[in-house]
Amino acid sequence: MSEKGEKGGKSALKSPASKGKDKGRKVQFDSEDMFDEKFETNGNGKSNGKADGYSGKGKGGKGDKGGSGKKEPRALLLNVEQEIPENVTCLMDCEAAQIMQGIQEHMVLLSKDPSIKIPISFDRALQYASRGNHYTDPHSVRKVLEPLKNQGVSDAEMCLIANTAVESVGEAFGLMPSLKAKKSKVKEPLKSALTELEKLKIVMESTKKAIVLD
Amino acid sequence: MYASCSMLKDFKKMFLKVQLNWNVVIPAESLDIKGLMLQKAILIRLLDDFSTKRATKDLGYLLAVTTLDKIGEGKVREHSGDVLFPVTFTCLSFKVFKGEIVEGVVHKILKHGVFMRCGPIENLYLSNQKMSDYEYQIGESPCFLNMKTGSRIEKDVGLRCVVIGVKYMEAMKEIQAVVGLEGDYLGPV
Repeated sequence: MSEKGEKGGKSALKSPASKGKDKGRKVQFDSEDMFDEKFETNGNGKSNGKADGYSGKGKGGKGDKGGSGKKEPRALLLNVEQEIPENVTCLMDCEAAQIMQGIQEHMVLLSKDPSIKIPISFDRALQYASRGNHYTDPHSVRKVLEPLKNQGVSDAEMCLIANTAVESVGEAFGLMPSLKAKKSKVKEPLKSALTELEKLKIVMESTKKAIVLD
Repeated sequence: MYASCSMLKDFKKMFLKVQLNWNVVIPAESLDIKGLMLQKAILIRLLDDFSTKRATKDLGYLLAVTTLDKIGEGKVREHSGDVLFPVTFTCLSFKVFKGEIVEGVVHKILKHGVFMRCGPIENLYLSNQKMSDYEYQIGESPCFLNMKTGSRIEKDVGLRCVVIGVKYMEAMKEIQAVVGLEGDYLGPV
């Protein structure tokens, strides 16, 4: 592993550019275990070796290990769109919870038939989604947030706004640096969207508090 | 900061909806029944394959098939007599992304950091280097303590953090992630 590391590591990031020499190149690609040793902090590792989330230069890659090598000035940007295939859409937790609860309702029936298998992750994901489901109606939430897309808010950012149940514009910008970049365009529409969302929240005793919009 | 944080509970990672095309193989012996029963056999086989697959690098943990959209024309496999059906279906999956805000529940505390659980993800790692305000406290029940605010990170505490890196372990079909606490509105909830 360590002897591969040297040649493999470097070119894995630049592979698309360095087509010419095919010999010995397998080392980088057939060894999935290369990834075992480091976390991908730049995209999905497909080929875009540039550290897209960081403001730093593309050379990052290797040094990313542990993420602590350099100074901190880079913000972690949310770049979900670049990481997922085209046919994938992001769902808000409340939407996912609704779908999974629908399946759960049929579970009694389904579990009678041992040939029907349910993924083991299902229960924990459902538990997770239900816990964070703080809206009464996912459709209305989407309706409220969808117009933000016209202001350049991405699908993933939209979901994160709903999932984190942010209460103020400042909090949204604080949690999503990528949103901050569009601050001037987004601020006002986001403010009114958050006010609308507040009305859709499941009323919990502890949650009832004044909306503090900055 | 942390006070305001505790008001807004529960946020998580991303659920994804995706349409996939898979091939489902129906053994020859299941083919003597026709019509609806064949459809059922295809569906059962699909659910079986789906559960076995468990997770993929791109989509994360596979959770549930929500709709079976299309069953294509079956093709007989010459040697076995099995029939292969191309199917299109929509499913739900769960994955974390870099930059995303997630909430994990602490399940293990070590001197160098803590491990958290988050939905189907068993290991979210928060290194002590990524929570510089907190100090490790040895004791019967070890914890990380913020001397200024008095907030504690101990077992079973929920933590809101930002995802720094994600790794997919092919062999174990498992996703692991490193997270950090450096940022506004992050910390115990």
